[in-house]
Amino acid sequence: MRKLFALALGAAIFATPAFAQYPERAITMVVPFAAGGPTDTVTRLVAESMSKELGQQIVVENVGGAGGTLGAGKVAQAAPDGYTLLMHHIGMSTAPTLYRKLAFNPLEAFEYVGLVTEVPMVIVAKPGFEPADMKSLVEYVKANKDKVNYANAGIGAASHLCGMLFMSAIDTRVTTVPYKGTGPALTDLMGGQVDFMCDQTTNTTNQIKEGKIKAYATTTAKRLDALPDVPTAEESGYNDLTFGIWHGVYAPKGTPKEAIDKLSAALQKALKDPNVIERFASLGTAPVAEDQATPAAHEAKLKAEIARWKPVIEAAGEFAD
Amino acid sequence: MDLLSNLALGLATAGAPENIFYCFLGVLLGTLVGVLPGLGPTATTAMLLPITFVLPPTPALIMLAGIYYGAQYGGSTTAILINLPGESSSAVTSIDGYQMARQGRAGQALAAAAIGSFFAGTVATFVIAILAPPLTDIALKFGPPEYFSLVVLGLVCSVALAHGSVLKAIAMIVLGLMLGLVGTDIYTGAPRFTLDRLELADGINFVAVAAGVFGIAEILRNMEGEKTREPIVTKVLSLMPTREDFKRMVGPILRGTALGSALGVLPGGGAILASFASYTLEKKISPRQSEFGKGAIEGVAGPESANNAGAQTSFIPMLTLGIPANPVMALMIGAMIIQGIVPGPNVAREQPELFWGIIASMWLGNLMLVILNLPLIGIWVRLLRVPYHTLFPAIIAFASIGVYSVNSNAFDLYAIALFGIVGWLLLKLDCEPAPLLLGFVLGPLLEEHLRRAMILSRGDPTIFINFSERPISATLLTLSAIALVIVFLPNVARKRKEVFVEED
Amino acid sequence: MTANRKDLVCGLVFIVIGLLFALGTRDLDMGTATRMGPGYFPIVLAGLLILVGAIIAVRALGKPAGESFGEVPWRAFFLIIPALVFFGFAVRQVGLMPAVFIVALASSFSSTKMTVPLALTLSAVLACFCALVFVVGLGLPIQLFGPWVRFW
Repeated sequence: MRKLFALALGAAIFATPAFAQYPERAITMVVPFAAGGPTDTVTRLVAESMSKELGQQIVVENVGGAGGTLGAGKVAQAAPDGYTLLMHHIGMSTAPTLYRKLAFNPLEAFEYVGLVTEVPMVIVAKPGFEPADMKSLVEYVKANKDKVNYANAGIGAASHLCGMLFMSAIDTRVTTVPYKGTGPALTDLMGGQVDFMCDQTTNTTNQIKEGKIKAYATTTAKRLDALPDVPTAEESGYNDLTFGIWHGVYAPKGTPKEAIDKLSAALQKALKDPNVIERFASLGTAPVAEDQATPAAHEAKLKAEIARWKPVIEAAGEFAD
Repeated sequence: MDLLSNLALGLATAGAPENIFYCFLGVLLGTLVGVLPGLGPTATTAMLLPITFVLPPTPALIMLAGIYYGAQYGGSTTAILINLPGESSSAVTSIDGYQMARQGRAGQALAAAAIGSFFAGTVATFVIAILAPPLTDIALKFGPPEYFSLVVLGLVCSVALAHGSVLKAIAMIVLGLMLGLVGTDIYTGAPRFTLDRLELADGINFVAVAAGVFGIAEILRNMEGEKTREPIVTKVLSLMPTREDFKRMVGPILRGTALGSALGVLPGGGAILASFASYTLEKKISPRQSEFGKGAIEGVAGPESANNAGAQTSFIPMLTLGIPANPVMALMIGAMIIQGIVPGPNVAREQPELFWGIIASMWLGNLMLVILNLPLIGIWVRLLRVPYHTLFPAIIAFASIGVYSVNSNAFDLYAIALFGIVGWLLLKLDCEPAPLLLGFVLGPLLEEHLRRAMILSRGDPTIFINFSERPISATLLTLSAIALVIVFLPNVARKRKEVFVEED
Repeated sequence: MTANRKDLVCGLVFIVIGLLFALGTRDLDMGTATRMGPGYFPIVLAGLLILVGAIIAVRALGKPAGESFGEVPWRAFFLIIPALVFFGFAVRQVGLMPAVFIVALASSFSSTKMTVPLALTLSAVLACFCALVFVVGLGLPIQLFGPWVRFW
């Protein structure tokens, strides 16, 4: 009897015809950052909705450390069975340049499931900062480049990337003051200890609305619904400043196509879930269009972004190792 | 009056039977998970966080606040019972709390912690309700130089944590500071002392160090000469504090509450300093100085009150600015976002029910904590009657999973093993672990703020002591200098006494 | 010449640790006072640690020998430390229950008062308890039995 049971069990695991029944057990989605952060939040929202679609639970696991490279490296080495996934953001495209000793190659170690969202950034300054708009901000920064201080949340953080992009766009280098995370950087900005920074709407929208900090421009193509009075960088004549913190779902290289297709379909469904759309909106972002939540679009985005950031980071000469 | 109607609204929200239930559930779960060795409040809150996702916003956040208080009290419980602090502030509690437990006074220590926490929590709730906006303005005046000076003051005070040699305490602090520097330099991204391991890029895990130098080292020491040794806990006399105990607790609880409420408001570092600032203060003003380090109830009541008050007022920056003061607050903000609330100054205006409901639930949570834990003390203390050789394998097993659960990182286990050995060696050399742990927590802050202040001042060191431009920083440094003199004075006095004795 | 053995060793230990850290900073940039490099603060601390260690060691000289180190719990060292390392190394591969069982079993024998039946019972109870609390209760994403011990 026991033998029969074992046989049946074995058959269930090995003899399943090519992933037709995938998924048969809970899936783990790794977030390479601490619980509670913006990426974790995005992941939990998407994972919850996807698991409804897949009929299996998606367990979110936080594997933080080294700018997201530890968690990503872990998934790169996981079994390609479709039961270990990774949610990562723009850091996947900057890691190969920032980390010169990276243990995996983002372009070779993963299958791509699809893009999820692109969180916009806003250039903000301390309350009462002199310049009135984006143009005069640039002029002011250029004229006072020895005096002004730009805050960022540490190497590889969104605010660090935005700062490098900003400085290369206006062709002026100013003193950067790194912090350990966005929280302390924003606190010092509100307290007037530093002059300006640039961070995700997730962290800044409320403070802007309350007048605790001053907003100059968004890095989006269109003005944001949440901040209709803030112009885009492009409106002010800085086309190079258009970018967002994009998120995508990955699986280890070699994960069967059937599984990837199912995951992609589930992701596309999840991104249309009103609950997900609503929560994303309160984060100041929106799901990507359906044609972006596909493996092909994801791969193209990653390639383009790696190419885009390489010269910017190398010019700034700031590496994470 | 506005405040009263707000608090009434809050109590009405938090007092709804459903919310009371979730508050209780949160406190209960937080306590039960928090007492597992190796699981500090951050880890506990992170693990229990997903449970709250299924609830509507208000009960979810109320439950989460309950989990946080419960976890914190659970962490103090392990610090007292088995010398295994779950976070830096309970490292202070374990100094005298564990000694009390060894003398059979675990019940009193736990009661002192619970009562102190409740009182501090009550006061801090009112502080939040009344003083949140002005306190926020003060917190914003703290720039890099002010934080640097505050940390210096904290480090000077932490020498008082040791009851043995002052020199060894200083060496342990410096060693802690150095260990705190392991990891990626946030200013340049350069890896420091990471031995080329990416796992060390974010530094050494606090729980791994604490579990190693406190928990495992203590177990190793207990294994020495086991046969000839008396059982660790002789006899549990009575559970409740005596009238004398209560008398000794009042002052420390009041002072601890004041210190904690004030320091907790400062994001990033304030609350850490609260509990050991309180310990230092009590030790200095107590007529029974010699009892400190050997089981003085003041050394438990004061820091626990300060810790809880600080934990509570650290909600202020989050509620008024939307900025997390510590990792647990970051989790709270994440939870709020998932619930569709973006935390920030507007929450109080747009969702007054939620805002005041959370504040009222803080008080309710503290009340639950006392109601729940006073009876539980009997059970915890009974745990100590379990023979040590049955208890310690459980401690090791729980600590292993607890540490592993935080980052799923094998390296953290290697770190516990290493720090267990180091901790044992240092114990053998009469070096006490508490100052090391505080140095470890404060080291990164000290360096970070020093370097940031120097960048902002463009290399002018007078930024720290300029009374007209930076009065807060200059005052704090002056206090540090005075404290330094005080720390060394009794030492000098004792030395002189020794000299006289030898001459006799 | 006599010396307080504990204090002397203690001072030397701090000196050695300070030197090791100082050695670790040799690839790090010192920077300037304005923009301190990653090596600035560590080298100052390492120097301080060496200094304090030296003072402790020097002051130990000439004092009475003091108490001895006492016994070293070798048995505990050889059981508990490898048990912790094993847990970290193998928990993914063998799963939570076997890992807890082995850690508890190995470390329990570092006490001379432990008996085989008690150790086995204790370890089994702990393994079940941890599985219930951490995996079933808290949803920790670790398999109960990992690939190394799954024979089906």
